[in-house]
Amino acid sequence: MKFLIAEDEQDLRDAIVNYLSDEANICEQAADFNEASEKLELYDYDIAVLDINLITGSGLDLLKRLKAQNKSCGVIIISANNSLENKLEGLDLGADDYITKPFHLAELNSRIKAVLRRSSFGGNDSIIFHELRLDTASRTAFVNEKAISLTRKEYDLLLFFITNQGRVLSKAIIAEHLWGDDSDMLDNFDFIYVHINNLRRKLTSEGAKYIQTAYGTGYKFTAI
Amino acid sequence: MKALKKTPLLRKASKAFLLNSIAFMLLSGVALYFYTQSLLQNEIEEELLSTKDRVEHLLQTNPNIQDIPPVIAIAKSKIQQKNSLKDTLIYDPLQDEVELFRQLSGTQIINGTNYRITVRAMVIESQQILLAIVFIFLLLIVLAFVFLFYLNRSRNAKLWQPFFNNLARIKSFNVKSDEPIHLEESDILEFDELNQEVAHLTSKIQVDYRNLKQFTEDVSHEIQTPLAMMQAKIETGFNEPDLSEGQYVMLSALQDDIRRLKNLNKRLILLAKIENNQFTQEEEISINNIVVEITGNFRELTDTVFALRGNTPLKVKMDPHLAQILCTNLISNAVKYTIENQPILIKFTAKSLQISNAGVQELKDATQVFDRFYKEGNQKDSTGLGLSIVKKICEHYGFSPSYSFKNKADSTENMGFHCFEIKFFT
Repeated sequence: MKFLIAEDEQDLRDAIVNYLSDEANICEQAADFNEASEKLELYDYDIAVLDINLITGSGLDLLKRLKAQNKSCGVIIISANNSLENKLEGLDLGADDYITKPFHLAELNSRIKAVLRRSSFGGNDSIIFHELRLDTASRTAFVNEKAISLTRKEYDLLLFFITNQGRVLSKAIIAEHLWGDDSDMLDNFDFIYVHINNLRRKLTSEGAKYIQTAYGTGYKFTAI
Repeated sequence: MKALKKTPLLRKASKAFLLNSIAFMLLSGVALYFYTQSLLQNEIEEELLSTKDRVEHLLQTNPNIQDIPPVIAIAKSKIQQKNSLKDTLIYDPLQDEVELFRQLSGTQIINGTNYRITVRAMVIESQQILLAIVFIFLLLIVLAFVFLFYLNRSRNAKLWQPFFNNLARIKSFNVKSDEPIHLEESDILEFDELNQEVAHLTSKIQVDYRNLKQFTEDVSHEIQTPLAMMQAKIETGFNEPDLSEGQYVMLSALQDDIRRLKNLNKRLILLAKIENNQFTQEEEISINNIVVEITGNFRELTDTVFALRGNTPLKVKMDPHLAQILCTNLISNAVKYTIENQPILIKFTAKSLQISNAGVQELKDATQVFDRFYKEGNQKDSTGLGLSIVKKICEHYGFSPSYSFKNKADSTENMGFHCFEIKFFT
């Protein structure tokens, strides 16, 4: 997969590129509007991550150009302004998703993967990790093709883990992914343990021991 | 300091005029009374003296003058006596009444005989004249004052009219609006100066207010990018291969701090947005449904039990997003501060929503509970903005939020309820 990250803050851009790049994904960068515009014109990307406030122009204008060119590129808008109008404007213009600063890299990754899943046609709604298989259409999980019963949150959690496999996820990252704005209604994330432990128990009983504890309070989904 | 009693300007002016007039009327009435009385008395005495002189004169030529009771009495006397004046009551057979007379009495030797001559004059007449004069005087003066009073009042009202008009405009002036204040021009120098000062001050306040608002918004938005960079670096740090557990703990603590800052920021932006009237959508919202939905979401996050009482439908016209925030903030406040294992009571009435959580004692500064950054106790993670957002939303729609503490009736323990109520209708 080929991504374009258009973000004018170099540190943030580097962190995103670093997080998203792996054997399967290539990340290209654009530091300003003109560079992004040029790259979008010359090359085809699967996903473009566009900051609205690029120094020399608006990410929304890039989005408009992309749509005018009819390119089949998924677009995720990054904004420093979490106003509903901006969000709606971005989505109306054809963005596939919208994320507000500050965001977790794991969250951005999960949004990108979700856009990719939605945009790939048929037959590809399965996510496979060793003996685990998630059917994203029916939102069911299978271990060795045996369905395991998960709650809505447990399913979301498992999907998030698989999407960010091999990465260290703190409780805050997980809580914000699963509960969004609701997560900051409470002071501590102890409630996360319950859901993670339940999921871990269900997977482990089927022999899928992939949820590892990292550094005491974090988690990592990995085949070791 | 004792608060001064406030009286409207026109009433105060009228009252002063009235009091002064009454004092003046009474004083001048009394003065007139005594002055006229002494004039009349002198007049009577002059008359009595001259009558006595006439009688003496007549006695010289004719010693056999008859008495004219009760006005003139002549008698021979052995004692010498000087003229003396006094009031006396005498029966007047003509009027068949006892009347008050002024009497001059004295002895005089005429042609070798010592006569005692007494002349009298009726006082009643002069008394009546006196009363008539004072009465007419007072009547005229009262009429004059009544006339002046109304004239003065209407004149005052007219004179101060521009002041009152402008006062009304100042009262309805809204610092949040972009419109400058329009004051009525006046040909009175001081009013004109006042207008200029007020216009100057209000425009300054408006500019300051706009700048402050702009500043808050700008800062809030500008802060998001550095926060995003910090958060991204922390996450990069999480995945460094040689990270130690201590470093991880530090990084995740930093992540929590960033989250706090982010929440604080988000709430400040929300407050600014409400102040900017950016929530214009209005729908008929069922508060009952929203509360049921929110408590449902909370069940995944907390073990706290919610007890919903009353099923009166509570429908309010407001922005759905704000309705959600209003209820969420109230409920999450209750969840945060309730005593462990104590249920949150939520009660609907036709006009209000009550949310109560268990607590030990009343908040110390109950009046400040809805203020920005008010924090009771040591909840480290609270932004101190949840309830002030509640207040702001209430202000926006004219709801009235209130806090009270109710002691638990059937408990000997030291426990009661913090009760937050939103009255949606009056």
